[in-house]
Amino acid sequence: MKRIIFYILLSIATLIFIYPFIWMTTASLRPEREISYLFPLSRNFSFGNYITVFKRIPIVRAFLNSLIVSSSITISVLILSSMIGYALSRLKFKGRELIFMVILFTMMIPFQITLIPLYVLMVKLGWTDTYQALIVPGMISAFGILLFRQYFKAFPKSIIDAARMDGCSDFGILYRIIWPNSIPALVTVGIITFMNTWNNVLWPLVVIRKTSFMTMPQMVALFTVGGQAEAQVGVQLASAMMLAIPIVIIYMIFQRHFIASMAHTGLKG
Amino acid sequence: MLRLIKWFTIPLTGILLLTMNIPLQAGEDVVKLIYWPSSNPQEIALAVNIVDEWNKTHPNIRVDMQPLPASQSSEEVLLTAVAARTTPDICSNIWPGIVGEFAEANALVALDRFKDFQDVTLSRMSSDILTNFISRDGHYYQMPWKGNPIMMEYNVRLFREAGITNPPRTYSEFMEDAKKLTKDTDGDGSVDQWIGVINVNPVWWHRFFDFYAMYIAASGGRTLFKNGEVDFDNEYAVDVFRFLQEGFKKGYFPRGTLQGSQFLLENIAVQFVGPWDIAYLEKYKHEGFEYDFAPLPVPDGTPEPILTYSDPKNIVIFSTTKHPEEAWEFLKFLISKESDLKLLIITSQIPFRKDLDIDSTYKEFFEENPKVLKFARQISYTRGSDNVTQLKEVFDVIAQAFEYSVIYGMQEPRESVMNAAETCRRILRR
Amino acid sequence: MEKLGRYETDRVGYVMVLPYIIFFLIFVGYPLIFSFILVFHKWNIISPMKFAGLYNFNFLLHDPLFWKSLRNTLIFLIIHIPLQIIVALVIANILNQKIIARGFFRASFFLPVVISGVVITILWQQFYSFETGLFNTILSRINIAKIPWLINTKFAMPSIAIMATWKNVGLYIVLFLAGLQAIPFSIYEAADVDGATARQKFFYITIPMLNPTMIMVLILSTLGGFSLFIEPYVMTGGGPINSTLSCVLYIYKQAFYFNHMGYAATLAFAVAFIIMIVVIIQRKLFETEVYA
Repeated sequence: MKRIIFYILLSIATLIFIYPFIWMTTASLRPEREISYLFPLSRNFSFGNYITVFKRIPIVRAFLNSLIVSSSITISVLILSSMIGYALSRLKFKGRELIFMVILFTMMIPFQITLIPLYVLMVKLGWTDTYQALIVPGMISAFGILLFRQYFKAFPKSIIDAARMDGCSDFGILYRIIWPNSIPALVTVGIITFMNTWNNVLWPLVVIRKTSFMTMPQMVALFTVGGQAEAQVGVQLASAMMLAIPIVIIYMIFQRHFIASMAHTGLKG
Repeated sequence: MLRLIKWFTIPLTGILLLTMNIPLQAGEDVVKLIYWPSSNPQEIALAVNIVDEWNKTHPNIRVDMQPLPASQSSEEVLLTAVAARTTPDICSNIWPGIVGEFAEANALVALDRFKDFQDVTLSRMSSDILTNFISRDGHYYQMPWKGNPIMMEYNVRLFREAGITNPPRTYSEFMEDAKKLTKDTDGDGSVDQWIGVINVNPVWWHRFFDFYAMYIAASGGRTLFKNGEVDFDNEYAVDVFRFLQEGFKKGYFPRGTLQGSQFLLENIAVQFVGPWDIAYLEKYKHEGFEYDFAPLPVPDGTPEPILTYSDPKNIVIFSTTKHPEEAWEFLKFLISKESDLKLLIITSQIPFRKDLDIDSTYKEFFEENPKVLKFARQISYTRGSDNVTQLKEVFDVIAQAFEYSVIYGMQEPRESVMNAAETCRRILRR
Repeated sequence: MEKLGRYETDRVGYVMVLPYIIFFLIFVGYPLIFSFILVFHKWNIISPMKFAGLYNFNFLLHDPLFWKSLRNTLIFLIIHIPLQIIVALVIANILNQKIIARGFFRASFFLPVVISGVVITILWQQFYSFETGLFNTILSRINIAKIPWLINTKFAMPSIAIMATWKNVGLYIVLFLAGLQAIPFSIYEAADVDGATARQKFFYITIPMLNPTMIMVLILSTLGGFSLFIEPYVMTGGGPINSTLSCVLYIYKQAFYFNHMGYAATLAFAVAFIIMIVVIIQRKLFETEVYA
């Protein structure tokens, strides 16, 4: 009996979390005057709103920008953060623990403080409206370093020693031996980094003004706020849908990993 | 003839843009200038036309046009350029509001240092208009170029059907007409036709098109500041607040944000816009749609002429230029009679020229476009915005007072205006 | 660990860590110092900096908008955190039972977490729209008056808080679930032997054992609340009448609309300081030792 109540509650809850997206999908396909109808289906489904979005803003360009930026950052973070995490966990050198403390410290600094000087730095370097501004400040992730360090600490010492004796350099050890055996960590850091970079909208809003360099969430946000959608709800929703779909697709494929990653980091938190 | 120019210019743009990329073979004595127009397609087409004409007739001074990148705000692009010292020689998309900051940062060339400054400017515009744009140190850092005077656009048919012959001149007339024009047309119990619409978003620059324009009209030409001091805590500002507040209280203006172009859909009878709307309406209007323009409504008893806000865009020469004299020559070309005519034809925006309605150069154009003529006549009766560095903040304060008092009716207009003025004084003292 | 007693330096460690050092100096160290210096100056990027001493600090203390933004953020947190914890806890508990398709449910709750805040905001803006929004349409159908979700000062921030809860609760469900599953079953068994009721088990075992997770949820939500930006930026622009002006939105406006860089830096430090205090208080009040 209790079970049935649980299932009912869960189903209602699920509906509350999923229905809005269903509504959004159908609403974006409906002509303007039918937007507020409750019933999701309509006789007049069309892609008109989507076409309008394509005509008004270079959303494909924005998508590509997001892709370039998020991928570059993710790859960089995986390579660099794992390298640093390895050094911090398996190598001995003076100042190692100091550096670790510094990294912990940086994680506690709220971004509000560094936001403006970082912007100024971009201006001085002439990096506003460039890919560098979006990518470089994100190339190393303190969170990533932490996670890798934790994970690598537990790596079997014997394998590393054996490789050392074979004359393998530490770089070789890291990339040729540890990496292939650390897929869960790589996936965790990779997914979280990718997702956070993709959804990040404050930083692009600050350093990018040219539409040709805007990221997708930034462009959709400005499209909605800036009046180019001319207060047409269907068009706004269509642009939002286009922003959501890539992540949803990735989510559906990697869903288990997503959730496991988040839970995993939570526990270690 | 005029139509030819208009029709061929925009397609020619593409070809010209291509040809302009061919490097000049000339040697070291060719002066190169970089010019930034705005990013709006008509202005780019205009720029291409003018620059091409110039390059043909001035082989020693070559101008390269680079459109300001399409972005959320051209001010920020310019700001970044100034900070990084990558500014062009000339830019013609300058909102006067930022001239103050730029001048203080020594980013602009003072135009009145050129010997023929007085002659050139006063032969084109009245001194009234020119002094709008003087900077705090008494110099002129911008050349008034064009404006979009804000007037009242009204739906002729709706007014006629409501039995009103003339558009409202005063606030009381407006309210009377509002009563007749605001109603529920399809009987579903909720009002769906209003006399007008005011943008309810608390964004500071919306207020240029309602409060500020009407304040200029009501006060006979006062702006927010006088001699750098806050000056708008007066009856006129209160009158405007009260007028608009009443409009909201009585439901004559809709509360929420509506979708689509309500004026075209004939759900609102009146709009406060500039000449840019003509091109839009001409493109999308349906059979039987009639519209016209009239000056802004004013408090009862305000004498003519009725002024308004000019929504100006001006030209500046940046101090990073290596050739100020040549840049000045090009600037003069940008504001010549012929260039002004092209401005009218290609963009429907109004140059700051005092003789538009009598000079024969423009006669043909206005015969074909009588509605634009109304704006052309209005341009000599406009005011710009003050040359105060903190102008954006000031407008933000006003926008918030506006939201509080006018839109939500939560404060008396007088109190609202006085508080806003006080806050602005504090801002200026910073 | 290398063999005890052998002091050996892995020089290559320095090489590996070098990128981070450079990165830190340029993107963390420099901004921090610069930010600190900015606090004592007035600057609008294009003109040289003007020394201003404690001026910014003084202005901040008397700035009604700053205190308002703090107040707004607190209102947000007061609604958002308890709501989130309760909902997440309840659902996590249910999911912790033997439920079929637990993975499916969990994935559905988690969906809003991964989707961009921009999408969520646009979507909910439609729900909350006064004249034509989904919520009010439903309300009119059942003859209840329309609610001014976003255009009334008392409703605006709470509406945003509800939306934020909806977006993030999936993450916390997952965290609580992980925490619940880490509680050794044996403790419950022992309690059963002592004749404990379900209620007692919940309040005397589950909740205390979940304490570390709870603290983490608390801190994460608090940090998230103070970072609130894109929702008010897109939905309300900070209105109506600044009732949804969040701390970060205010900093953004001061820096990027009005170019008051020095003041914005001061605001940022003030907010950071407040966050630190709030987190310390939370830990002092709620953190307990968990003996597992």
